Amino acid sequence: MSAVKLENPALDPALLQERRMLLKGNHAVSYGVMRCRPEVIAMYPITPQTPIVEKIADLALTGEIDAEIMTCESEHSAMSACITASLTGVRVFTASASQGLFLMHEMLHYASGARTPIVMPIVNRTLGSPWGFWPDQTDSLAQRDTGWIQFYTEGGQESLDMVIQAYKIAENPDVMLPAMVCHEAFYVSHALEPITVPSQADVDAYLPPFNPEHRLDVDRKESWGNVVTQEMFYRHRRDMGISMSHVPDLVTKADVEFAERFGRGYGGILEKYRCEDAEMYIVAFGAMCGTIREAVDQMREKNLPVGLLKIRLFRPFPVQAIQEAVAGIPRLVVMERNYSPGLGGILHQELKAALFGMENAPLVHGYLAGVGGVNVSVDRIEELTRKALAETPVVESVWV
Amino acid sequence: MIETKKHYDIPEEDVFLSGHFACPGCGEALAVRYVLNTMGPDTIAVVPPSCISIISGAQPYSSMKIPVYQTTLEASAASAAGIKRALIRQGKDHVNVLALAGDGGTYDIGFQALSGAAERNEDFVYVCLDNEGYMNTGAQKSGASPHLVNTAFTPGGKPTVKKNVVEIMAAHGIPYVATATTGFPDDLARKVAKARDMKGLRFIVVLTPCLAGWGVKDDEGVKVSRLAVDTGMWPLYEVEYGTKYTINRGPQGVPVMEYLKLQSRYRHLTPEMADELQRETDRAWELLQARATCVVSVSNAEPIP
Amino acid sequence: MSAQQTPVPTAWTTGWTTVFDTGTWRSQLPVHMWRPAPCFVSCPLGNEIPLWIRSITGGSEEDYKAAWDKVVENDPFPAIIGRVCHHPCETDCNRQALEQPVAINSLEQYLGDLALEKGWTLPPAGESQGKKVAVVGGGPAGLSCAYQLRRFGYDVTIFEARDTVGGLLKFGIPEYRLPQTVADAEIKRVLDLGIEVKAGEAIDTADKLEALRKSYDAVFLAIGAQKAKRLPYLGDDARILIGLDFLEDVSRGKDPVLGDKVAVIGGGSAAMDVARTLRRLGKTVQLIALEGRNELPAQEDEILEALEEGVSLFDGAMVASLDTSKPLMELSCKKVLLDKEALAKGEIKPIPLEGSDFKLEAHQIIVTIGQDPTLDGFDTVVATEGGMIKTNGGPAANVPGIFAGGDVATMDRYVSRAIGQGKEAARAIAAYLGHPEIVPLPDYTLDDAVARNEINPFYFPIAAREERGHTAVTKRLRSFADVKIGYSEGQALSEADRCMSCGTCVECDNCYIFCSDMAVKKAPEKEEHYIILEQYCKGCGLCAAECPRGCIIMKQESK
Ligand SMILES: Cc1cc2nc3c(=O)[nH]c(=O)nc-3n(C[C@H](O)[C@H](O)[C@H](O)COP(=O)(O)OP(=O)(O)OC[C@H]3O[C@@H](n4cnc5c(N)ncnc54)[C@H](O)[C@@H]3O)c2cc1C
Ligand SMILES: Cc1ncc(C[n+]2csc(CCOP(=O)(O)OP(=O)(O)O)c2C)c(N)n1
Ligand code: SF4
Ligand code: SF4
Ligand code: SF4
Ligand code: SF4
Ligand SMILES: [Mg+2]
Repeated sequence: MSAVKLENPALDPALLQERRMLLKGNHAVSYGVMRCRPEVIAMYPITPQTPIVEKIADLALTGEIDAEIMTCESEHSAMSACITASLTGVRVFTASASQGLFLMHEMLHYASGARTPIVMPIVNRTLGSPWGFWPDQTDSLAQRDTGWIQFYTEGGQESLDMVIQAYKIAENPDVMLPAMVCHEAFYVSHALEPITVPSQADVDAYLPPFNPEHRLDVDRKESWGNVVTQEMFYRHRRDMGISMSHVPDLVTKADVEFAERFGRGYGGILEKYRCEDAEMYIVAFGAMCGTIREAVDQMREKNLPVGLLKIRLFRPFPVQAIQEAVAGIPRLVVMERNYSPGLGGILHQELKAALFGMENAPLVHGYLAGVGGVNVSVDRIEELTRKALAETPVVESVWV
Repeated sequence: MIETKKHYDIPEEDVFLSGHFACPGCGEALAVRYVLNTMGPDTIAVVPPSCISIISGAQPYSSMKIPVYQTTLEASAASAAGIKRALIRQGKDHVNVLALAGDGGTYDIGFQALSGAAERNEDFVYVCLDNEGYMNTGAQKSGASPHLVNTAFTPGGKPTVKKNVVEIMAAHGIPYVATATTGFPDDLARKVAKARDMKGLRFIVVLTPCLAGWGVKDDEGVKVSRLAVDTGMWPLYEVEYGTKYTINRGPQGVPVMEYLKLQSRYRHLTPEMADELQRETDRAWELLQARATCVVSVSNAEPIP
Repeated sequence: MSAQQTPVPTAWTTGWTTVFDTGTWRSQLPVHMWRPAPCFVSCPLGNEIPLWIRSITGGSEEDYKAAWDKVVENDPFPAIIGRVCHHPCETDCNRQALEQPVAINSLEQYLGDLALEKGWTLPPAGESQGKKVAVVGGGPAGLSCAYQLRRFGYDVTIFEARDTVGGLLKFGIPEYRLPQTVADAEIKRVLDLGIEVKAGEAIDTADKLEALRKSYDAVFLAIGAQKAKRLPYLGDDARILIGLDFLEDVSRGKDPVLGDKVAVIGGGSAAMDVARTLRRLGKTVQLIALEGRNELPAQEDEILEALEEGVSLFDGAMVASLDTSKPLMELSCKKVLLDKEALAKGEIKPIPLEGSDFKLEAHQIIVTIGQDPTLDGFDTVVATEGGMIKTNGGPAANVPGIFAGGDVATMDRYVSRAIGQGKEAARAIAAYLGHPEIVPLPDYTLDDAVARNEINPFYFPIAAREERGHTAVTKRLRSFADVKIGYSEGQALSEADRCMSCGTCVECDNCYIFCSDMAVKKAPEKEEHYIILEQYCKGCGLCAAECPRGCIIMKQESK
């Protein structure tokens, strides 16, 4: 039943120390998971997520990870098992992508309703049909109403660090909601990067053990999930909202604490890159931020005053932080790959909604760039930036 | 001393409680009683949407004096497995985990998760309360609905036969597979106790007459259940490790019509249809007996490594 | 919801469904109750059959004694009744729904014989009530009444015309069906309770009866039916004998002088006894009865045994005329049919069949066609009707303080009826005399009894009835040996196991086990053994349906 383990794996103490390694983004996540010591890990393969859980299986074999490994027959079951294991009172982990995430959809709602702080990396990939394996965040974005916290990261190190932070935030008694840490297919998942794996002691000090107030326990005899009245359902949903509202501050705090202990910070909810005196912010999330960073540098050299506003927390959508961040900025341009047919760019629409009613709200351009994973180069970003500066924005998102 | 002649010997713990919302005389509630009271208080149960989920109580009340988790229709086996895995990590391996699902949640939509759990030989007891249809949603056809039966989806009679989930589960080679029914409560309780004390995935399917769904009188559920066995439509048997068959009670020479005629869901049967069901039943019984003898002679029951 | 109230948590339960009153859904409520078994209702002496049979199943001597103690509450003569009763209880036994009735009578014989073997004694007489009762006639009716009266604490004197009590038990029913040793022993056990017997004292005039009435607080008349019916049209040849006289002679050890060929007229038990006694005396017997084979009033097993023993039966026949001119009398016979309409009214009206004449020959004819009470003299004291003492439907005659029972007061002429009427009379007398404890027994009919369809056959696996052994015919023809061979202990145990305890809860727990609402609670301290939790019972009726023996009825409730 439990995964096969090597006989008495004599763990080299060095393995517990901080380690510098050259890792792909997915494997960075696996090492981050290792340091969080989940007790139950459910896995199911799907490209491009598979390397995360394969690595975990290896680490379990060597004893670096000590957990119940469930090799499920579907993502639906993986999530189902994670929910109950979490309700029983242990930290759990699973990862998914694309079709697998969609098969889980029913259980995603179930997990948040059950207030189980599961952490699940998502390796963003297009959804069939037609079949494709390309970077695009519509899989996780389509789960935005499921009651999960969503983080979007730009690279392997950030993903590793956010897995640790995500547990801390999700398991906070004021939150108790599940969290996704999303990074994109191939651009992040399979890109090699020098990675710092923090020491076990530091992570243990940063992330307290999971100890929920309620749990499935024969000594407590509490049951979970019996039918509720409309009034109870109303309150249950409202309470989830209240918990969500605690998240932004906790994200900021977690980032600060993380930076203090590990020497790396990400700006918490948002990151502003070279935004001083900018005429326009390019708003984006995920892997594209890396290219935009370079483009901003290039444009700044040409004295074009633009900056990058990287959205790290997508759920809850940090309306207040965004309004504060863009106050006084005349224009924003959203660059994203996420097309919702009949609506437009998903981030574009969310952003506009967030700015609605704001005094002197900036004009917002919405560019659908790189849909389907098409490469968006540094020069292309400069080109699009100049276009945005020159034109009056239209309401709709624009295919560029 | 004059000993009271007890017809049944059922050691019961006090787990299932009064005040639940099952229909009067409900076979499913009766089965739940024997199952829970045999599993005992050191049990955590998983219940998917089904009549059982109604029986288990509405927030904030529970009819089961153990922790119960209500899961989704297709996830019972995975949910149960998740609990057991967590218990193992918590050093509480002695706590039993029990999935209590309907036939729809077992034969049909939950089958993938169940089969997966069986393949992994997850450590819990799965009890399917088979009322031969989607009763909670108003008596539609499920994979467990028998041939020619009238359901909301098969008003003229179901054209195909009942899925043989027992053999399918046995084919997974799991430690224990058994049939039971409420008309033989001691047999049911014995099987639950036996399953409880084993390891790995243990699967019991309990035929539980649904009075409303089957069109059976309030006080005849037990009789109907007994007739299911005595007509041979629901033989009581056990399969260990996929190979060792034990038949506990087969047909007692009662024609299937005796069983069918007590249920309005068979009211439309013509004599020809009834004959067909009789032939099918006879054939299934022959097959079961053949399997029981031949498989044992091939190999003795062996635990899966 | 007021602001102070803590709202119901939206997840994680905090309590149990036991707060709900699902009993409000109900329209009927199960009630546990003792209900009469049909065997009990049909037993003329009110034998509480399921109770004592259940005791037998215990299997120890103590249990058998307990069973016997229960039997003798109603019947001090189980060894006798176990041999001679026509057992209507078995006729109505619910076990026939499965296979055959429980052999109740055989079990009575087993207990009766065991008691004699072990020397068990009857409970002592009750605390004296300071009153005395005269019992006229020492047959089973009189003895039964005397016995019960002693139990209730009355002084009893039996006035018996004959030299010894017993009535037809001693001078009617032959040895091979009821050994005298058995009858004597059981009768002695009753008399030993302190009953005075004045033998040879016939109360056969109005004066004697009046005198008794004056010196005793109550009188029970149980003089039986002594006057044999005759067939005057046959004439009064000395070779025409009366069956009862013949049987009494034989029982007294007299050897009646008879020729080889005897004709017996009659189709009842007494006629069978005459015929079979004759066979044991080595005679050729021709039994002529008006009734057809299947209408004969005698018990079926008696008829079969008679045939086995070589009695020639001429059923559906009558002797039309008799030629007494030769030493071997010639009987001219005709085949007859009984008029159906008359039969329905209880009358016998033979219709001779044309051309069915046949002739028989006999050295003697023994007429055994029934008896009537001898009431000469009494009818000036008490009212009579149909040749019997008129009673109020129970045992009381029309004169206060006079009671009657047994053959003198009923056409239902059986030992069990006589014992039952004796018992009822004793209760009526006790009540009449103001006994502080004795209350009338309820009168049940088969409609009150647990019906066959109320028995849940599933709980009673098919089990063949244990039959008593029978002495071989050759041995029977050589002696007066007991025809019926009593049970062995093993037989008794397996037969007792067949009784389903109809209407008597045996705490099998079925009702408890099959309630899906846990609304049946065990309450061993209560008479009904169980309590229905009305808060939860939904009234499904499953407990009643699964009670194997009909101890639960569903009571309609109007809500
Ligand atoms: C041959 C025969 C076989 C029978 N076989 C069976 C059988 O197998 N099973 C069965 O159930 N029934 C049988 N019966 C019927 C049964 O014996 C009677 O119904 C039963 O004995 C009636 O009991 P009793 O006490 O009313 O009368 P009896 O038994 O007739 O007793 C009456 C007593 O009163 C006495 N007596 C009469 N007149 C007076 C008086 N003036 N003063 C004082 N004492 C008096 C008599 O001497 C006698 O002792 C049989 C009857 C006969 C004749
Ligand atoms: C995914 C999904 N599809 C459909 C349903 C609706 N549903 C709820 S209960 C139920 C019937 C379940 O039938 P079964 O498992 O046989 O249990 P029963 O109600 O007969 O006890 C269905 C179809 C659901 N809850 N989830
Ligand atoms: S006395 Fe006769 S009727 Fe009564 S129980 Fe005995 S055999 Fe049956
Ligand atoms: S089964 Fe027993 S209780 Fe029932 S009628 Fe027969 S003898 Fe009486
Ligand atoms: S089985 Fe239970 S609920 Fe049904 S009638 Fe009997 S006591 Fe009431
Ligand atoms: S079911 Fe059994 S315990 Fe209940 S009343 Fe009937 S005999 Fe008694
Ligand atoms: Mg069902």
